[in-house]
Amino acid sequence: METWRVITTWGAPPDFNMGLDEALLRAGPAAPTLRLYTWSPDTLSLGYFQRHADVPGVDRAGAVVRRVTGGGAIHHTGELTFSISAPLAHPLYRGPVAESYARVHGLVARALAHYGVLAQLRGAAALESDRPGTGMCFHVSTELDLVWEGRKGLGSAQRRTGGRVLHHGSIKLAGSELETGVATLAGIDEQEFAGRLLDAIGRELGVALERGVPTPAERELARELAPRYVDPAFVRRR
Amino acid sequence: MRPNDRKYLDSHEWAKLDGDTVLIGITDYAVQKLSNGNDSDLVYCDLPEAGRSLDAGETFGEIESVKAVSDLNSPVAGEVVEVNSTIEEHLEVLSEDPWNKGWLIRVKPTAKSLDHLMDAEAYEEHVAKEG
Repeated sequence: METWRVITTWGAPPDFNMGLDEALLRAGPAAPTLRLYTWSPDTLSLGYFQRHADVPGVDRAGAVVRRVTGGGAIHHTGELTFSISAPLAHPLYRGPVAESYARVHGLVARALAHYGVLAQLRGAAALESDRPGTGMCFHVSTELDLVWEGRKGLGSAQRRTGGRVLHHGSIKLAGSELETGVATLAGIDEQEFAGRLLDAIGRELGVALERGVPTPAERELARELAPRYVDPAFVRRR
Repeated sequence: MRPNDRKYLDSHEWAKLDGDTVLIGITDYAVQKLSNGNDSDLVYCDLPEAGRSLDAGETFGEIESVKAVSDLNSPVAGEVVEVNSTIEEHLEVLSEDPWNKGWLIRVKPTAKSLDHLMDAEAYEEHVAKEG
């Protein structure tokens, strides 16, 4: 049975969160690592290619970072962030990008089912949460996005480099004033939902989940990479 | 069978000798994998400036499909002498014609050999394994 490493960090600084994810992308082991985390202070993360000026809420968001993953901006407050770092040859990620999204979103849907939430891929449906001009990930949808009650409920983005993938996911629990109208899981604690997500991944993929920490080499690389994420030259590079 | 007038890198870039230079692009498989057959799923591409020196295997650019950013890697070492700047504004060209109009950069290589890369037959096997 495959064993995944699980690293949880609650209320970590934004540069640490992004530096560690990139370190796991670049230097992680062959078996997947799943991170479950929250942010302190509240942070807005821009997508890798997003223009800073295309996200009007950026000045009201608290701290700002730019992710190495694609997609739109996420306001990391009242939400659970997860990341999966793995080789591209892993069965969860091999083949077309779209199929990998569908597989990961299926796992999150299983976790949501515990709460009676019927989450499904958007398909051709129009969403009430689509809002032009905000630059926020949750206000733009594709057919592969996970939705419930007609609203987008999971932000998802990937980076693929050096034969490995980093997959970022964001589930809104309480929501944010910058992401109005999106699907939330009001009243559910981040750590409780993290437990449900672990249950779903372990059960659906038939993998063992083992609590762990970054290796000394991963920690060192994360420390080297972290400063870039809050460097204005990177945050405002577009 | 994909074109046998060029060689391939396992990360799905191709390299084709053209006089003293090498044209570099990405394969139809790379485009399909990123875009799932939908032109509009390719949203951004960053290419280098002419004059940049590259090592073999070095990342020379980045491409974003809907929500996935991927590196573009150089199959050869050399200096970038020309960039297909139309691609950044017209990513649909990569879907329409990845082998010709969809070239990304032209490199003056430090060595003219492409022998270290896969031929079309080996690349077909590589793609089949990757699924």
